[in-house]
Amino acid sequence: MQKKVLSEIDLHYGIINMPKKFEINSEKLQEDILSSQLKNEELPYSREWDKLNTYMREHVNVEYGFTLINKRSWGNVYKPKEISIPLLNIDPIDLKNSPDYTFLYGVNVKNCGVRIHYDQNRRKGRSWDIPLTNNSFVMFPSTQMYYLTNNQKDSLNFILTTTYEYI
Amino acid sequence: MAHFAKIGMNGKVIAVLTCGNGDMLNADGVEDEKVGQQYLERHNNWPAPMWVQTSYNTSANTHRLGGTPLRGNYAGIGYTWDEDDQIFWPKKPYASWVKNMTTAQWESPAGAQPTLTAEQTSQNAADTHRWRYNWNESGQSWDLTDGKA
Repeated sequence: MQKKVLSEIDLHYGIINMPKKFEINSEKLQEDILSSQLKNEELPYSREWDKLNTYMREHVNVEYGFTLINKRSWGNVYKPKEISIPLLNIDPIDLKNSPDYTFLYGVNVKNCGVRIHYDQNRRKGRSWDIPLTNNSFVMFPSTQMYYLTNNQKDSLNFILTTTYEYI
Repeated sequence: MAHFAKIGMNGKVIAVLTCGNGDMLNADGVEDEKVGQQYLERHNNWPAPMWVQTSYNTSANTHRLGGTPLRGNYAGIGYTWDEDDQIFWPKKPYASWVKNMTTAQWESPAGAQPTLTAEQTSQNAADTHRWRYNWNESGQSWDLTDGKA
């Protein structure tokens, strides 16, 4: 008897393990996220964003052998107890221009989590929860619907999202 | 043009970048690895000691142009940097293989791959057979197979 897996939902998660003195400056990213939200502008390119993006692209290439290409990047600020609406980063009627992966990074977060929805054969509507902590990330296929949970009651949560295409 | 391997936190090579010879000259106008490392740190947000120079012309601890080999092998993405022995190691092909420090290559416990006989080589050239030795990890031996059989 043999088995062939035709498709998989691969979730990648962990900590961004940067060398000492080269850690991601979360305050700079926070400022950029807040300013882009207030001015309704794109997230500006910064040295910190580049460090994070390069880290992910290089490590994914080494570990899994595929190359990520940037699509979009933006930041979100969640108020205390605010839960996101269900999010989906592909456009079902424009799959050609949709991303392959969604990458979420905890810039400055507290009591925050990601719930990723998936189907397992006829068992529809299953979900998988993972906490999102400071300097940690979750990356999953953009075809998966997800939302962000937020149970803290006294501060803002800053989350950076980047979408990727892979070759 | 010099090549530098970017070393990850686990000692793996995560990228290989080039650095212009002019960007690694010290005060005396001599190429210096340390200057190149500083240049790469400044432009790539990665600490200088985690950039290690590698030679494009070095393979199996031999310089193909007859020069002095540098650090065993030209670093590739996924290679492991061995700081103690100053060698870039490719991925270990089989669990039982061991490091040969002289050739900077992985070697089977049964030694190097046997060479084909003159008859086998001529049969391969005539395309009547496709003789080759494959490593048999469970039997710990080199098995001769004919790809056309």
